[in-house]
Amino acid sequence: MKIAALSLACLSAIALSGCDIPGRPKKEDRRPEPHHVTDFKTLYSQNCAGCHGNGQSVGPVIAMNDPLYLSILPKEQMRQIVTNGRAENGMPAFALSNGGSLTNEQIGIIVDNIYAWAKNPPPTNAPAYSAPLGDVARGAAVFAANCASCHGADGQGLKDKAGSVVNPAYLGLVSDQYLRTITIAGRNDLGCPDFASRVPGKAMTSEEISDVVAWLASHRENEFGQKLAPAQQ
Amino acid sequence: MNGKALIQALNGVYEWVDKRLHVTDLFNHTAGHPIPKSSASWFYVFGSATLLCFMIQLLTGCLLALVYVPSAAEAYTTLEYLTFRQELGWFLRATHYWGSNFMVGIMLIHVTQVFLFGAYKYPREITWMSGVVLMLLTLGLAFTGQVMRFDEDAYWGLGIGAAIAGRSPMIGQQVVNFMLGGPIIASETLSRFFTLHVFVLPGSVLALVALHLRMVLTKGINEYPKPGQIVRKETYDKEYATIIKKEGIPFFPHGIWKDLVAASIVIGGILFCVLMFGPKGPLGEPNPTQIDTVPRPDFFFLWIFAIAALMPDYMETFMLLVAPPIIIGLLFILPFINNTGEKSWRRRPIAVLSVILIYLALGLLTYLGQTSPWSPDMKAWSGAETPREFVEGRSPLELQGLAVLQNKQCRNCHAIDGIGGHRGPDLADVGTRLTKDQLVRQIIQGGGNMPAYGKNLSPYETDALVAYMVSLHPKGELPARDSTIPATPAPLSVQEGEQHEAVGAH
Ligand code: HEC
Ligand code: HEC
Ligand code: HEC
Repeated sequence: MKIAALSLACLSAIALSGCDIPGRPKKEDRRPEPHHVTDFKTLYSQNCAGCHGNGQSVGPVIAMNDPLYLSILPKEQMRQIVTNGRAENGMPAFALSNGGSLTNEQIGIIVDNIYAWAKNPPPTNAPAYSAPLGDVARGAAVFAANCASCHGADGQGLKDKAGSVVNPAYLGLVSDQYLRTITIAGRNDLGCPDFASRVPGKAMTSEEISDVVAWLASHRENEFGQKLAPAQQ
Repeated sequence: MNGKALIQALNGVYEWVDKRLHVTDLFNHTAGHPIPKSSASWFYVFGSATLLCFMIQLLTGCLLALVYVPSAAEAYTTLEYLTFRQELGWFLRATHYWGSNFMVGIMLIHVTQVFLFGAYKYPREITWMSGVVLMLLTLGLAFTGQVMRFDEDAYWGLGIGAAIAGRSPMIGQQVVNFMLGGPIIASETLSRFFTLHVFVLPGSVLALVALHLRMVLTKGINEYPKPGQIVRKETYDKEYATIIKKEGIPFFPHGIWKDLVAASIVIGGILFCVLMFGPKGPLGEPNPTQIDTVPRPDFFFLWIFAIAALMPDYMETFMLLVAPPIIIGLLFILPFINNTGEKSWRRRPIAVLSVILIYLALGLLTYLGQTSPWSPDMKAWSGAETPREFVEGRSPLELQGLAVLQNKQCRNCHAIDGIGGHRGPDLADVGTRLTKDQLVRQIIQGGGNMPAYGKNLSPYETDALVAYMVSLHPKGELPARDSTIPATPAPLSVQEGEQHEAVGAH
């Protein structure tokens, strides 16, 4: 009895003395409201990593830590893309005003820190991020020279090299801009070279890129399997 | 001389008071009532310990109610205030939280002890039945108390509770409306549960405790059962009277000291947990779109949720709506099923066996509830990465399929190689289990606990999704083939049948 009373007294003394009690909630334990998260790592891994990978892992869509990619895409434009998304092409809009879950401030934090990933100096000869579609016929020739070795002469893919880039379902899901982005930056994480290293010593020019994207886009079909006129940008 | 006069004077005052208030009488009939010597046992302390916990809950509850505001808009803020700003507010919250855990736990021990010692038999039927009601009220207090936190856990707890209630045939929706104060969880819901938690349930507990204790006093505390001592209606009362006459001792001061030791152990235990583990939550605010943890109800309800999460649909309704009333009904009328006979658990193997079985089942279900993923992972669609081997070597179309899988939030329920939600099966090797046609059917029509995506997917998206899922099979293992092709292994055609059924049943 005495012992019990004594330990009781001790315990309550500890409780009241306010020293380091494991059970007392600390400021850090407090769950931040989702809109108060400002830590880039958390923001990126919760919102982007599933589709774009986290730099080490590979996502289904282009990696955000590709230095070449970051050198061609103006920061402001990335902010626009993240804010508004590309609803038709599977890139969600993240701004609260567009039904997303991030504040403009959070989007700013994500975008700024993504650019901090670009460590290497950007290549000086990189083509512009966006440009109108080029000429389909010339594009076929560019494809044969730069892409056919992996994607096959007709673009249908080569076993053990790379898959089809003219599949109508694929083309129906991605935007022309995305095709251009890949043609410039490639998919280093998956083995698609960038514009400068497909043919050794001969980087693709901006026109060649516009042409090959036009050729790829010309394989789009409508739901009855008929070719579509390429959308003008 | 002076001393003697003083004592005499005091005695006079006491007698004067006693003549009017009958204090001595009251004492002899309550604290001083005689109990069998054998009942002053350590096994008999759990009832009073449960009552002690209830007292602690009343006290801390009153103090909490000084700050807590039962409105959906402010509940969360006041809890944060209590936890982080107010001096010792966290201590109060933690004591109330752990007090409730201890109360439920000790109460269960008490019920088990009473059952094993045969104390529910003649003539203590009403003591037992009021105890069963007290047990239900206590669980009700615990459940409504968890709702008071009004955070994610509470929200999910309520949501599943409402889903269970909504299964009642015919009147499901009305029951839900009655329970939540409307079709959805809102401010009205909190008011209802607050009223239950601070007025209705504690009031009922107080009234029933009075009855319960009154029965203990009038019918006497159960003697420590000896094997071979048979309860007979004709002789029991006389036998009990003999025991009391021969070896009765007054509860106070001779019987009570063990209860007091137990009480200080309980208080010490509560304080220990309070200081070591602190209060629970509040977790994030209850906004269904912002859940990024896996919320769980408090542990004594986990088993119910395990049933809700793990049972196939058709069993769920039975397990949640039919079984509990039957079990509670059986408990309630137990004294009439088994009114006389042996009391000692040594001679009641079936009773011992059922206790073991019930606790095993509850323990297992609690464990499953603790580990089973019964809610989707709401952030997986944008956050769950995919291991390299499930991305590399995929064609551009298959890559887009994975992007669609993310974008359409399939990942919230489906993991790939363990990463993602676990509401549905892991998709890492779905390509070996289902053929292309079966995959299309599953996506378009849903089935089981999976929603139908028919209207929410364009044909291209479906193509891409299916192409990706077909590619999901371990290296060297062949993809599943259509069952019309003769070489198909037998299990596949069986699976196809099941799939049809699942869709049809929905
Ligand atoms: C559900 C999957 C998904 C999530 C999550 C996602 N993206 Fe995307 N993102 C895509 C897809 C698909 C595209 C390609 C759209 C297209 O075809 O143009 C894309 C395109 C982009 C592009 C433009 C690529 C180009 O064409 O140059 C940027 C920049 C981008 N995402 C950034 C982000 C950031 C930053 C986040 C996190 C805040 C994010 N994405 C989250 C799927 C996603
Ligand atoms: C060295 C071989 C190689 C060459 C050359 C090559 N690719 Fe690729 N490409 C790949 C691989 C590997 C992938 C990853 C997908 C796969 O395996 O099919 C890929 C993927 C792609 C994708 C889909 C990327 C995505 O994220 O959806 C596009 C579009 C593409 N390539 C276009 C091109 C174009 C246009 C050219 C020529 C200008 C080209 N590729 C040249 C190997 C190559
Ligand atoms: C709300 C959670 C949930 C979501 C979201 C969900 N599923 Fe499911 N899925 C399930 C459950 C549960 C099952 C098991 C169905 C059953 O009981 O028959 C399942 C089964 C499946 C199966 C069959 C797996 C097998 O091995 O038998 C496939 C394939 C599948 N889902 C694909 C998808 C795709 C693709 C999406 C997104 C378009 C998706 N699911 C979204 C819960 C979900």
